[in-house]
Amino acid sequence: MKGVLVRPIFLTVFIYLFLKFIVPNLPHSAPLPSSLIFLYLMLTTAGIVIFATLSGASKDAFFGPMLRFLTGESGGAFGGARYLVLALFPLLVGWQTYGSTASSDAPPAENRTIHPAPPGEYTGLSNPVPKTPDNIMYGKGLYASRCSPCHGNFDGKGFAAPGFTPPPANFKDPTTIAMLQESFLFWRIKKGGVGLPVEGMPWKSAMPRWELELSDEDIWKVIMGEYDGAGQKPRTWDESE
Amino acid sequence: MARVRRPGARWWVGAVGLTGLCLASGLPPAYSQQSVSVRATLVKGALPADDPAAAAWATAAVSEFPMSPQVHWPVRITDVTAKSVKVRGLHDGTTVAILLEYADPSEDPDDAAALEFMVGDSKAHFAHGQPMAQVQGGPVNIWYWKNKDGKGVDMGAKGFGTLKPHTHQTVNAKGVYQGGAWKVVFSRPFKTDHGEEDTQFKPGEFASIAFAIWDGKKMDTGQPKEKGSEKAISSWWYFRADAPPDYSPYMYAALAVALALGFELVLVRRLKKGS
Repeated sequence: MKGVLVRPIFLTVFIYLFLKFIVPNLPHSAPLPSSLIFLYLMLTTAGIVIFATLSGASKDAFFGPMLRFLTGESGGAFGGARYLVLALFPLLVGWQTYGSTASSDAPPAENRTIHPAPPGEYTGLSNPVPKTPDNIMYGKGLYASRCSPCHGNFDGKGFAAPGFTPPPANFKDPTTIAMLQESFLFWRIKKGGVGLPVEGMPWKSAMPRWELELSDEDIWKVIMGEYDGAGQKPRTWDESE
Repeated sequence: MARVRRPGARWWVGAVGLTGLCLASGLPPAYSQQSVSVRATLVKGALPADDPAAAAWATAAVSEFPMSPQVHWPVRITDVTAKSVKVRGLHDGTTVAILLEYADPSEDPDDAAALEFMVGDSKAHFAHGQPMAQVQGGPVNIWYWKNKDGKGVDMGAKGFGTLKPHTHQTVNAKGVYQGGAWKVVFSRPFKTDHGEEDTQFKPGEFASIAFAIWDGKKMDTGQPKEKGSEKAISSWWYFRADAPPDYSPYMYAALAVALALGFELVLVRRLKKGS
């Protein structure tokens, strides 16, 4: 059994480890969902079986050790392992059946879109307020009085933040305002949590609807103050071209 | 001639170790995580629906949720007394009781607490069911208790400024102040005759729940520290009343084990015959 099955087993384990631990660390990559890893391992196994059954001799060499193991002809140390496998297989099937029929204690999954598309009228707007030191300072002042209780020092860790889920956005995080256009921020600040579309469910955003309290010009200044304070730059069409 | 050691002779040790490490990396962390749901277990004796200090509450699972100041509506507050609330649930098959427990340095007549639920299948914004700009949201059902009133009030809202008591009243509530903390129990039958206004519970199914707390301590101005929309609030979380025990999954599992075992026996027998 050793010689023939060692390589397929090693190959499968290696591919699993590669997909699970190496791929997520590659540049511009992300962790793979377990369902995708399972699919790749199934493809690997199918490939191994096809390769091993190309000829009658290779087929016998591949399946022979498995059949001898199952029938107990391998003998020696494999005898105990055989009983273990024969006992574990039904238990595994029973466990899987229980898992798929028992009611789950987990709450329903929430597939919230973090940055849903804004309505058309808010797409591609450019900041009409001149980017002067005075305007940036004014925007930072508004940020300090209106936004910082929840968004903190641009890090999403304001003193009023702990009860909110999802937590207030961390503007220093490169996946928030750095990857968004100013027009997106204008929409989110102006319309707040109640401006979210259906894909923003379950509507837990506590973001105020600032159009009730701030003028459009002030909102644009807050946006400038946010980017400057967080040390980020807005995403623009020019950069993506 | 020097003896050459075959590399990989003990390959399986490494493989088992690596597999173990991979499986371990997928296990949940040992530390406890923040609660996401309230579980109401089936009580064996009488439901302590009007006794927040009953011993039966000690048998209920406890969940804890952080609280934040209400900031969504312009009449807001930025610091609140209640930083978190512990929640327990019990039910007797027909009535559900939910116990809130939170720290408050002083007992005041205007101290108050509330539960909020979605109504029917319509989703609602957690801030009083504020109307959504792009989609039609639903109303919320609010169970309110105030110390000086000493009773529960069944209310409805579809946005700030629209809160009003229902014409029917099916919610009971009672609060007890002990050792610098409030214990407030709310109770109501699972079902009511007003499905368009009241949330309806079904054992085993998750419902959305949110919490609100007011510190009614009187300030120098003569006004309570927290009142109206100036309050401590939580986001939506989940609530579920346990369904009656269901043993069918065990039966299905036993059947599957028997079938797998039978399949194995037939397979091995055939293989032996073939060889």
